[in-house]
Amino acid sequence: MIDFFIGLFMASFLIVLFSGRLYRLIFWYAFNSLALGVITILVGVEHIDNALVISGGLTLILKAGVIPFVLKNISQRFNLIREINPTVPIHYSIILIPAIIIFTLYLAEPMSSMIGVNSNYIAISISSFFLALILMIEHKSVAPKIIAFLMMENALFLLGTTATKGMPMFVELGIFFDVMMAIVIINLLFKEEHVK
Amino acid sequence: MILLYLITPALIMFFISFSHHIYLRRILPITNLMVLIPTLYLFSLGKPYAIIGEYLVATNLNSYILLISSIVAIGVTLALITLNKHVKIDNRSYIKFYRFFALFWIGLILSIMSNNMGIYWIGLEMATLSTVYMIKTNKSKQASKEAWNYMIVGAIAISLILFGIILIYASAKPILGEEAMNFALLKEHIHEIKNPFLFELGFVIVSVGMFIKMGFFPMNLWLANIERASFYPVGALFSGILESAILIGFFQFSMIAMQIDKEATFSFVFIYLFLTISLVSFLIFRSKDFMRLFSLSGVEHMVLIILFWVSGGYFPALLHFGAHAFLKPALFLSTGVLESQGRYKIAGALKGYHGFEGKTFWFIVGFFILAIVSLPPSPMFFSEIYGFSAMITLAKETDSLLWMILAITILLLILSIIFYKFIEIYQSMKYEGEEVEKIVYKSELLAFLLFAVATIGLIMPQTITYLKAIHG
Repeated sequence: MIDFFIGLFMASFLIVLFSGRLYRLIFWYAFNSLALGVITILVGVEHIDNALVISGGLTLILKAGVIPFVLKNISQRFNLIREINPTVPIHYSIILIPAIIIFTLYLAEPMSSMIGVNSNYIAISISSFFLALILMIEHKSVAPKIIAFLMMENALFLLGTTATKGMPMFVELGIFFDVMMAIVIINLLFKEEHVK
Repeated sequence: MILLYLITPALIMFFISFSHHIYLRRILPITNLMVLIPTLYLFSLGKPYAIIGEYLVATNLNSYILLISSIVAIGVTLALITLNKHVKIDNRSYIKFYRFFALFWIGLILSIMSNNMGIYWIGLEMATLSTVYMIKTNKSKQASKEAWNYMIVGAIAISLILFGIILIYASAKPILGEEAMNFALLKEHIHEIKNPFLFELGFVIVSVGMFIKMGFFPMNLWLANIERASFYPVGALFSGILESAILIGFFQFSMIAMQIDKEATFSFVFIYLFLTISLVSFLIFRSKDFMRLFSLSGVEHMVLIILFWVSGGYFPALLHFGAHAFLKPALFLSTGVLESQGRYKIAGALKGYHGFEGKTFWFIVGFFILAIVSLPPSPMFFSEIYGFSAMITLAKETDSLLWMILAITILLLILSIIFYKFIEIYQSMKYEGEEVEKIVYKSELLAFLLFAVATIGLIMPQTITYLKAIHG
């Protein structure tokens, strides 16, 4: 079951890299967060770890629900440009992205063998981290870069969940708090630009 | 309870920022002075002192860094009183600047006092995000661009730090469980770790994240551009407090990494720093305005602090750190006055100051500029002497004395280029250009005096004894 959701998590990363519309990007971010939330809950249930189940639940509510809603709201309120074509042409991306995935899987192999548990998941979360970086680089406008930042945070959350079977609860709550603060700041920045 | 006392001035600032009575900002330097009471109290306690369990612990190292950051914060609030006299800022942005300054400070107190990697990261992230809005208080197009730039690049840097922390945590969790996030415990049990490779990888990633945040190679101009675009107190907060928090994190992580493999840690950090300082010296030589000059010089000093630290010269690193933390914010704040006749006019910038206040201002700024280029008896002069001798001592242990001498010679050559540039600028400020009358306000002068006294305080025998007693 976890494998299935990890697959969905990775697939949503691949789709966003080829997306040219902002709402679609927000939708796939929500989907990515949904997969992450379910993975966290499943890992928590497997290891009988209530903290992981709670943070999985929080991921579902905040990252798959509240944040995409706020982002969509921001984009409507401030009339953000919805057509966001990647600067890297798609035919290059088709070659580049698998190359990055293979490279990161290779890179992560010694690490995965050391951690032992869920080794493939660690490799996938590291690949996702690099893919989020690519997403950040390949767009010129700010909105996709924000989504890339949030997806990068998702990749790290997955790494924390799979490599360490979850970080201490207060750290995870702190990370949630920081993500929410980032959203507030982003909203403020757009508001300032809109007022100007 | 001490934590509450430590964050009370920041909380007062936060709540006052919701009031539309802008004159209330004048009481903030006084309320901020209150932070010195719990900070100095920490010095009287036995160390390590648990502030909140094992999560926030006062040590000799972080108490010193907290004291320095508190003095910088007081100085910045003093200079902030007259921000609207030097730059165009509306009341709404002005009070919001205070609001985010308060959040920034709370985040950094958490980071500095943390004995836990997770809390350290949360505090740092909170401070990073707060800074984004402080940059945006300047309504220029450039500032807007740089605020987003900071948001994105800062996010990458902070994500790399979290990435590294997760790997370090994963390497130590099998032996320490959830306590693997505890710096002190990790340091104690580091040799029991079964996968040191994973720790080292985590350390490298954390370091790269921190180096990006500090404007090291290849992101040398990133920080300088942001500080140029934002109002001058942002540069002061960056160099005096934010970078202090990043440095204390690096100190903590590197101390553990050096226990695993001192030579590898030194080599990795040294190559990175060498590339950075080579590029930065060239950029300093080419810089044409105060803000970029001070910003790039800040990078140079952080390179030296880290270099001395990884060489085992903890005393020179901390002395250099203290001097940098006082002198650089002072210079950034002085740009508010120096640039009142135009941003890029270096010639004659130190002319036109009349009366007691004016003359005191140019004297103090002259003192800051000469102190930052390590002219004796600047604390930086002593720290560099001790720092380079620590590098020689390290080289003797590793049989690479000749290589180290060569490296130090090149470093001294690079530092001499920077020295030459600063002296040239000082002479241009003092002896060239037209004389135009300029105003210095009392609160600013008070802030500069505070920084000058604090810098002199660093070479007092008591301070030196205290710093020598800190061993990381």
